Amino acid sequence: MSQTSTATSQPALEAISPMREAWSQFLRNRPAVFGLILLTVIVAFVLYGRYIFDGDPYRIVWGPLTAPGAREGIYLGTDFLGRDILTNLLKGGAPTMAVGVSAALLTVVIGIAVGATAGYFGGWMDDLLMRLTEFFQVLPALLFAMVLVTLFSPSLFTISFAIGIVSWPPTARLTRAEFLRIRELEYVTAARSIGAGNGRIIWRVILPNALPPLIVSATLTIGVAILFEAGLSFLGLGDPNSISWGLMIGQNRNFLLEAWWPVAIPGIAIFLTVFAVSLVGDGLNDAFNPKLRSR
Amino acid sequence: MTPLMSLRDLRVEFDTRHGRVTALSSISLDVRPGETLGIVGESGCGKSITALAMMGLVPNPPGHVTDGRIEFNGEDITNAPAKRLRQLRGGDIAMIFQEPMTSLNPVFTVGDQIAESILLHQNISRANAEMQVVELLDTVGIPEPEARSKSYPHQLSGGMRQRVMIAMAISCRPKLLIADEPTTALDVTVQAQIFDLMRDIQAKFGVAIVLITHDMGAIAEMTDRVAVMYAGRIIEQGDSDKILDNPLHPYTRGLIGCIPVLGREAASTDRLPPLAEIPGVVPPLHLLGEGCAFAERCALADATCRSMRPPLEDKKGHPVACHHPGEVLAPGAEVSV
Repeated sequence: MSQTSTATSQPALEAISPMREAWSQFLRNRPAVFGLILLTVIVAFVLYGRYIFDGDPYRIVWGPLTAPGAREGIYLGTDFLGRDILTNLLKGGAPTMAVGVSAALLTVVIGIAVGATAGYFGGWMDDLLMRLTEFFQVLPALLFAMVLVTLFSPSLFTISFAIGIVSWPPTARLTRAEFLRIRELEYVTAARSIGAGNGRIIWRVILPNALPPLIVSATLTIGVAILFEAGLSFLGLGDPNSISWGLMIGQNRNFLLEAWWPVAIPGIAIFLTVFAVSLVGDGLNDAFNPKLRSR
Repeated sequence: MTPLMSLRDLRVEFDTRHGRVTALSSISLDVRPGETLGIVGESGCGKSITALAMMGLVPNPPGHVTDGRIEFNGEDITNAPAKRLRQLRGGDIAMIFQEPMTSLNPVFTVGDQIAESILLHQNISRANAEMQVVELLDTVGIPEPEARSKSYPHQLSGGMRQRVMIAMAISCRPKLLIADEPTTALDVTVQAQIFDLMRDIQAKFGVAIVLITHDMGAIAEMTDRVAVMYAGRIIEQGDSDKILDNPLHPYTRGLIGCIPVLGREAASTDRLPPLAEIPGVVPPLHLLGEGCAFAERCALADATCRSMRPPLEDKKGHPVACHHPGEVLAPGAEVSV
């Protein structure tokens, strides 16, 4: 068709999206894959464990503080009321993870909204939003979350909300930094030159390019939020109506000197989950960061 | 004939650490339908800002258009509402950029990006737009356009990416194509291909081109008329062949002297050493004084040049802003000392 000399033909490549490339990079990272497998196993246990180890977590199955393995059928022992720890562990996993995920989600939503607006529009908007961010950042997070939770009576929803409210500033600052960097790039000017408006440039041009570090930070925030929930529950500010790992630790902490397992077992569960999430987060970080790639 | 794009006494200022500096002043330019206008000058002389101003894209903050008018097809768009400007950008006025490596969004396929620019301006279906994308990629000389449209920018070479940019720019049949150093980042053989392609596009669609460059060779090859810019002002303006034959401003002569051309005619070479250099650099905009901005670097400069800025006016055939247009130093003295 064209009268001009044709550009030198390149070998036909399969179209590889940046996301798919990052994924294959991730799969080459052993600790990250290990973390992902561990996380999958934990989630599978939490979701389907009750089909193997059936039972009402509230029912008293034997004497209080029975040691693990001391009696047949009570694999992980009983807590201070004589309830089976294994069934509690399985029942408490879902609320723990739900709080972690929804708090991280809220963090990301607030963080992106604030950071994108500040970074893209700049000027007084940036000043205003960044002072607001700093205001939230200087408040001691745990104390602030405690105030929020006591203010609205503890429930899974208010706990997630409180954790989200105290955790968004770092995400907002990260988003702002990415927006400040990317908005100066030529493809943003190029997008303007084809007539794209602010909304389109923020959502379709800058945000997709700012996403990798945000995904990493969101993943790591899940781990932090799980720890946060455990901390709140330990201090007696958990949702008393729904079992979570943090609540198990909090309720049994007074008996720690007589029996370590009612505290240690949910503690190990939290540790493994946060560990797995962190491995996945670090793996994503490496996968998205081209400078760390070994080619 | 009404000019397609016309700048009238345009003044653009920027807020910087050194206070408000003038990036462009008294810029008056006309682009006629179907012609190619060159804007030439060193880095930092205001070429790119002029191009962005034509699209209403002067970065604000820190930039401000503080005086003058920008007209497109007789319509004053200096203070046009954002919506109208978005219609024009990509619709009637399109732009291609210097760095094809960085002017495409890395996370979407090139087909998606071209389709996006079509869908922004035309009310057609996605499938229809995708068909147009393949046609456009074919028009700009990309082999296997269908497969290529599914490639990501990093899978294409610089020349291919610049072709993709051109495809995107012409996707809505613009009347004006602004090319900001379209070949600077490409190697010379690809440069020639891209210029060929631009000429083809111009012949096919009748689009007017504003070619921004620092390369007098590109001006000679591509343009009908040229404006030479220095430190935010136009210092010489006219038909390209006239200016190339008879440059009046010592800066223009310096730029022409910089092109290493094989077999250049002796007539033009005896005026300057074979490969001249212009001593010094463009002065920082915040340090510009009363006189001619080029005086510090000019061998012809005298007291008048240092105290009074020469206006842009017709002298010896075309507009030039110089107190000593076309003057030559006595034999033996050289411009580049």
